[in-house]
Amino acid sequence: MAEPAAQTAFAEEALTHLDTLYRGALRLTHDPDAAQDLVQEAYLRALRYQHSYQQGTNMKAWLFAIMRNLFWDRFKGSRKEDVSLDDVGEFVLYDKLRDEGARPEADVLDKIAASEVVSAVDKLPPLHREVVLLVDVEGFSYKDAAQTLAVPIGTVMSRLHRARQQLQKSLFDYAVESGIVRPDGMNEGPPRNHGEASDFVGPRQVPQQ
Amino acid sequence: MRCEECSDKLDRFVDRELTNTEALEVQLHLEGCPDCMEHYDFQEHLKRVVKRSCDCDVAPTAFREKLRQILS
Repeated sequence: MAEPAAQTAFAEEALTHLDTLYRGALRLTHDPDAAQDLVQEAYLRALRYQHSYQQGTNMKAWLFAIMRNLFWDRFKGSRKEDVSLDDVGEFVLYDKLRDEGARPEADVLDKIAASEVVSAVDKLPPLHREVVLLVDVEGFSYKDAAQTLAVPIGTVMSRLHRARQQLQKSLFDYAVESGIVRPDGMNEGPPRNHGEASDFVGPRQVPQQ
Repeated sequence: MRCEECSDKLDRFVDRELTNTEALEVQLHLEGCPDCMEHYDFQEHLKRVVKRSCDCDVAPTAFREKLRQILS
């Protein structure tokens, strides 16, 4: 067991990542109480095995790995669901909108409520959902996500790609159901005046990388 | 660069995972190809919408305090 001061310092640093773990647990369990149980168990395990954490490495990724392993062991059984997403085609929502000349396509995304986006994420199979959580929500690099999930980087990339396709499909279905777009992909609402500046505030400049 | 190659690299470009050289090649293609630029805009926007939508949950204060006590 670590010295009390060292343990306190470790705990304090670990708690700086609490929101990330809680968000992840919430999206994995779909239940606030279960999420708190999972996170608490993960922190206790992290404290127990703090000697295995290498200073200077990514503590957030280390903690998330502990939590998701617990999730699979305790909540889902040790056998991971081998759920593969159907191939829904490339860029479903984007292509549907684009084919019908609805521009700019990204405007549709701004009309979809955040709760519906969360719902679409929640509908993803867990193995795909956790990649979206790590890369898109928490900003993990592919390398850190691969280490956290104990899979090759190529698996992270393929799961992420499939997950984004599925997200587009779910969001398109919602956009049709809620009348944001018609089933043929056209935007609802007043026609745009293409001669004037767009009110789209998304990036037109490609960022320097 | 052809549009097909740009499309193949779009996920990694949006996720800032390409090498500097690859990113520059994609960037140059996007600046000269309105179709791919719109495609990029959409993917970038989708990523931001997902983050913004899922980012708002934070751990309850009481839970944070409970954990702090348990861990100390």
